[in-house]
Amino acid sequence: MTATTTRRGPGRQDLPRQPARRTRLASHPGRAPAPLTTRIAFLAPAAVLVMVLSLAPFVMTVWRSFFDDSLVDPHFNGWGSYARIITDPVIVRSLVNTFFWLIGTVAIPVGLGLAIAALTNSVSWGKYARLAIVMPYALSGTAVAVIWNFILRDDGALNGLLEGLGLGSLAHAWLLEWPANTIMLIVANSWQATGVAVILYLVGLQGVPRETIEAAALDGVAGVRRFFYIVFPQLRATTAVVMGISLANGLKSFDLIWVLTNGGPGRATETLAVSMYWQSFVLQRPGSGAAIAVILTVVVVAVSVGYLRRQLRTS
Amino acid sequence: MNKLRSVAIVVIALLWLAPTYLILVNSFTATDDYDGTVAWFPRGTALLENMAAAMDAANLGPAMLHSLLYAVVAGVLAVLVAALAGFVLTVVPGRGKVFWFWLIYAGSLFPAQAFLRPLFTGYADTGLYNTHLGLYLIYIATCIPFSFFIVRNHMITLPREIAEAAQLDGAGWWTVFGRFYLPLSRSALAAAFIFQFVWVWNELLFGITLSYGEGVRPVMAALAGLQSTYGTVGPPVILAGALLVSLPTVIVFLAFQRVFASTLSTRI
Repeated sequence: MTATTTRRGPGRQDLPRQPARRTRLASHPGRAPAPLTTRIAFLAPAAVLVMVLSLAPFVMTVWRSFFDDSLVDPHFNGWGSYARIITDPVIVRSLVNTFFWLIGTVAIPVGLGLAIAALTNSVSWGKYARLAIVMPYALSGTAVAVIWNFILRDDGALNGLLEGLGLGSLAHAWLLEWPANTIMLIVANSWQATGVAVILYLVGLQGVPRETIEAAALDGVAGVRRFFYIVFPQLRATTAVVMGISLANGLKSFDLIWVLTNGGPGRATETLAVSMYWQSFVLQRPGSGAAIAVILTVVVVAVSVGYLRRQLRTS
Repeated sequence: MNKLRSVAIVVIALLWLAPTYLILVNSFTATDDYDGTVAWFPRGTALLENMAAAMDAANLGPAMLHSLLYAVVAGVLAVLVAALAGFVLTVVPGRGKVFWFWLIYAGSLFPAQAFLRPLFTGYADTGLYNTHLGLYLIYIATCIPFSFFIVRNHMITLPREIAEAAQLDGAGWWTVFGRFYLPLSRSALAAAFIFQFVWVWNELLFGITLSYGEGVRPVMAALAGLQSTYGTVGPPVILAGALLVSLPTVIVFLAFQRVFASTLSTRI
């Protein structure tokens, strides 16, 4: 990692609303206003593509969620689909798993990411260790699933290792028993995703002013205490970003679960992101599928907005 | 204390490397030598043969070519389209900028699942299902919001005097965009492109939902298909296949680490 020379992304301080610049705009009456057709020509390709291929279908999903599961001629049934899915044991399990993912995908990247960044930051060879942790981030969820399948299956590497160490009694059907399978999926996801947190915390650590650390050192505050009392509070903005990214990615995670377990066995490892696919495309129940998609969207947007506002405030 | 820290770093790094090491070692084992147990030390030199077998079994070659095209074309077009929108919403005077910002940016907030089924039925109705064009379109559309965010955030930092001076010299908005803002935004455009390239290459959900044919499906769909043949082709071939399709993104990632770091910190 050459993150010591990393600079902060350009956008942190630039928010959608820019009152200062508006007044500045107004104070330049001499500027030629652009004709409407020009503005439309610049804006249209992006706006039309996004509207036609994501926003409009999203609105249709919301609309569809209020109809029943019939493939032809569906009937309006209000909140019926929502009522049915939240009483469906499979979906309840999926909600529980999603909740696990929420916890796992926040706690692990924040804890480990922070620890790894802090531990390696001031060690000269730290960047090589960091590289090992950051590299899986380049892999796809599909490739990660292939790799972890090899490790976790019954005759896989993990059980082989346990038996080799004489710990055969700890060997497990990792992917077949709930909740071990969901926990292992979260572990596999963390293996891939912790690198992002490390990168972000490293950038954050470089922004902590040296003086505060030196002042603490003069006052005799050292080691772990210095870290938690002096450094960590100054990383609050970074923590918010790490949490936001990890949460959003964890909630949307599909390929890892789909390729590793197909959501199974018995749909036991599904999260909402996978359940939607099952209901909509495997079982052909578009009404329930749409309802799950809407619930997932509400969770993702709520998480993102909370984090966005945080980011807006801290900057 | 320092010793403890060193030990901790080494342990964590080794833990992280273990899966990668296992994959490497086992993908070197020749299929005939694979005895159903995990290799902890190299047992052969058959990596290339295994990669070739994986390409054969899952038709990975064409799939990689398709994904390369999807990733490059969608990345370039999305970044250009995003730059146009970013330009008009930062430099060109006009109303409704906040509205249009959120409209375009909203595309990156929703999970793909939220619009997948209507997209699928729409594709089926319009003949876009299982076509290259269909995948190009969805990849461009889903790459626009984040590229737009990056490019816009860069353009907002450029001095407006550039546009004003150019206009005094009689340049129109297209000239201001093409001659000044586009070249000045090179670094942001490149960062957005690299990010989207990796995203499209690694994408699975649209790939398996909007295509099925081997002439269209992207590389991760092909890899997922290969994985489902675990019992027949054997683990060494599948692991070699996973390695093969991961090489492009790993290389891009290692080459552009700095770009990833700076882009990530603006990611929502």
